[in-house]
Amino acid sequence: MQDEIRNIRNEFVALVSDVESPEELEELRVSYLGRSGKLTSLIKKIKDAPAHERASLGQLINETKQSIEAQIIEAAAKLSDEKVGFDPTIPGVKPPMGHTHLVSQAIAEISEIFSRIGFVRVRYPEVDWDWYAFEALNFEPDHPARDNWETFWVDAKAHPKYGPMVLTPHTSSGQVREMTRTKPPIRMVNIAKCYRRQSDVSHTPMFHQFEGLVIDKNISITHLKGTLDYFAKTYFGKDRVTRLRPYNFPFTEPSFEVDISCDICGGTGCKLCKGGWLEIGGAGMVHPNVLKNGGISPEEYTGFAFGWGVERVLMMKSGLKIDDLRTLYSTDLRFLYQF
Amino acid sequence: MDIKILDSHLREFLDTKATANDIAKYLSLCGPSVEKLAKTENDYIYHIEVTTNRVDAACVLGIAREATAILPQFGFSAKLKKLKVNSEKLIVKKSLPLKLVSSPKLENRLTGVVIDEIQNWKSPKWMIDRLEASSMRSLNAVVDITNYVMITVGHPCHAFDYDKIKNHTIIVRESKKGEKITSFDNKTFALPGGDIVFENVDGEIIDLPGIIGTKNSVVNENTKRVLFFFDNNNAVKIRRTSMSLGIRTIAATLNEKVVDPELVPAAMALGVDLFRKICKAEPASKIYDIYPRPYKPKVVATSKEFIEKTLGITLEKNKVTQILKALQFDPKWSGRNLIVKVPSFRANDIAIPEDLAEEIARIYGYHNLPSELVKGELPEPVFNTPFKFEEALRQTLKGFGGTEVLTYSLVGQAGPLRLKNPLGEDTEYLRTSLKPSLVNAVQENAGLEKPYHIFEIANTYKPMKNNLPLEKMMLAGLFVNYDYRVAKGVLEALFESLNINHEMVLEPVNNAFYYESKVEKLQNSVKTKTYVPVPKYPPQIEDITIEIPEGKLVGDVIQSAKLASKLVQSIELVDIYERKFTFRISYLHPDKTLSDKEVEREREKIIKTLS
Repeated sequence: MQDEIRNIRNEFVALVSDVESPEELEELRVSYLGRSGKLTSLIKKIKDAPAHERASLGQLINETKQSIEAQIIEAAAKLSDEKVGFDPTIPGVKPPMGHTHLVSQAIAEISEIFSRIGFVRVRYPEVDWDWYAFEALNFEPDHPARDNWETFWVDAKAHPKYGPMVLTPHTSSGQVREMTRTKPPIRMVNIAKCYRRQSDVSHTPMFHQFEGLVIDKNISITHLKGTLDYFAKTYFGKDRVTRLRPYNFPFTEPSFEVDISCDICGGTGCKLCKGGWLEIGGAGMVHPNVLKNGGISPEEYTGFAFGWGVERVLMMKSGLKIDDLRTLYSTDLRFLYQF
Repeated sequence: MDIKILDSHLREFLDTKATANDIAKYLSLCGPSVEKLAKTENDYIYHIEVTTNRVDAACVLGIAREATAILPQFGFSAKLKKLKVNSEKLIVKKSLPLKLVSSPKLENRLTGVVIDEIQNWKSPKWMIDRLEASSMRSLNAVVDITNYVMITVGHPCHAFDYDKIKNHTIIVRESKKGEKITSFDNKTFALPGGDIVFENVDGEIIDLPGIIGTKNSVVNENTKRVLFFFDNNNAVKIRRTSMSLGIRTIAATLNEKVVDPELVPAAMALGVDLFRKICKAEPASKIYDIYPRPYKPKVVATSKEFIEKTLGITLEKNKVTQILKALQFDPKWSGRNLIVKVPSFRANDIAIPEDLAEEIARIYGYHNLPSELVKGELPEPVFNTPFKFEEALRQTLKGFGGTEVLTYSLVGQAGPLRLKNPLGEDTEYLRTSLKPSLVNAVQENAGLEKPYHIFEIANTYKPMKNNLPLEKMMLAGLFVNYDYRVAKGVLEALFESLNINHEMVLEPVNNAFYYESKVEKLQNSVKTKTYVPVPKYPPQIEDITIEIPEGKLVGDVIQSAKLASKLVQSIELVDIYERKFTFRISYLHPDKTLSDKEVEREREKIIKTLS
């Protein structure tokens, strides 16, 4: 009887594929599953089988019935589609589509990259004391960044110890805060809003930076190079390389300007770059005075730091060709809906 | 600061076979960055960015010095050529008088010489070309010589009309607030006070030294005798005056960065030589020189270990010596310890062992150092940071059709935290709410008829007594042209997806609904998801339509229905017609399938409480 059941199933599979109309399909259904259909008749015969076979036969028939039913539904669906003239080219109905901001997208990507090489993400005050923004970072009292032309000062009472209140002009203000929060080994990435007193096509008074800080025993320039290369390759692409050039910052010694190879010309030099290189931002070895101000012995520990513009790496990566950086802070939905 | 110099000018001091392209490329790698190399008809102009600590390199001689240290690292021989000046000693039979009343607090060095019988006022073409390459206009040979000396040697200088200085006396003092000067180009400025000025015996200001010359003492073609003058002033005061008055001359941008007073003799010699050659004039006085604190060589000590630790490689002592000598430092080894004498022109920039390590590393070449990732222990993780949650808010709202905006933290609406030096009226205050910025955004999109939802996650700032402002990360948003139920549904869905057990009120604002909440509060309201066994028995589902009179709240109705029957699993509003509300109610018993009779009992309980 088992063979009989299997034969019925195979026979049905062959017949159902030839069905051309709903009427034919109904006919086929009745001839197998109808009151005196082929499968139904077999069910009636189970009681004649030997007792020990009945259970397994019942199961097999049940499975066959389910399979036939499923094939009928499938065939019916196919026939009805054909009937109404199914048009796959009709536009879909989209769910409402939202957008995160380009800068948020970049920040998410940057923090993810650094977390892979053991950096801990932190956040420190955007409005801070002069001590954290300048003094502890080894800025001379009369450094131009500390005057009224470059940095925003808050009209508030100065702290007796930490000095006047300032809108942080860089994420570097988080360096000494991090050294105070935790002991080495330090691997920090601080991503935050920064403020500088400037507004033109390539500057906005508010912008974002990401600051890396590593402090441990025996940290040298080679580690800075390794970290920056890792970021550059991961964020910009595996063929990109970085280079360091001498620069000057009060809180690092030596200080560097970091360039990345141009992706347009592949490093041979073109209109968009300087001899195959694009400037990406500053970096350096943490100045011993800064370590001291953070309560860390420069004899025991060394470190490196870098602070780059989120907007800058974003613009360099994507080839967005936004000719005025201020556009990023526009709330025009025709702009925001593009990303 | 950016400087521009001609290749031919550079080669007067630099003997090398390296091409202009080579020089530009290698200087950028190891020294001042050549931003651009522009070809002219038969020359090149280097556009060079000199960092503020390297004012010594902001001149032709300075760039030549750098090149002699850098080029040999790339296989080019390079030698510094001596200044080509008439070495004939300055001997004057009868010296014209000059009295300098100095103020050692205000200046480091005052040096002057009187030049008589100016016979030619026209500059030669080569000089005009070199000045123009540096974006300087040729005025007359006398003024041009002062500018030429500055761009060549790096020390600014000035030419007075000697006969316009009454009694040939110059007195240095600080200005009083509001004192007026008229510059040589006829602009009048009121001084902020405390500026370094030169006055004559009558108390009249006759120069704003280090920044700009004044009309009452300037040379012109009627001038017979010139006072060729160097003043090395207090750099901080120069910057303050120059920035306040907005007079950003090349002289001022150099002087505010501490120019080396030891450059004066060479600059003086070059100037005198040019007066002789070009103006056919002769010195008519001795060189007056007030220099109370001459340079004493500065010494910095370091060691082989320290240098190697910073660079991350091993380095031969010989190599270190060679590099430092090429930069005109004077190194002396004693075992593994190194004592280095710093040249005067680097005195302000080299102070600690790290500075020496930088000099060695950059000339050795950063590109020659290996690149490796940090090894060693990982830092302690930080727990409970908000970053992941903030990103989840962003992504979820995006998924429900929200668009994130980023607006300035600085606003025009008056608030308790004001900036001392805002850029403009519309960015004078730190915001205490995101609402004004989002409302502005709606104005920017006026005319848009489709519904839209904008949101922002950003700090607000609340002043605190004797402390930094409290920075609170807020989530705020506006639903514009939205149906109220749809807007509310987005927030309900947000909370449901992130399992936030919190309510946010939608506040009507014009044609929009506004919401705002502290991110921290939302994060603290997140409940951990727990497993609830899937019901074994199917629910009974039915629709009930109830008429709710005006004034009665639908929320209350649903609430009391839920309270009326313990078996109600959910109530969903499926239809509204006038005041008739259709609810889809699911009844569920954990242990059995409810019979029609049991459902009827529950339904009656509900209807009873509602009527």
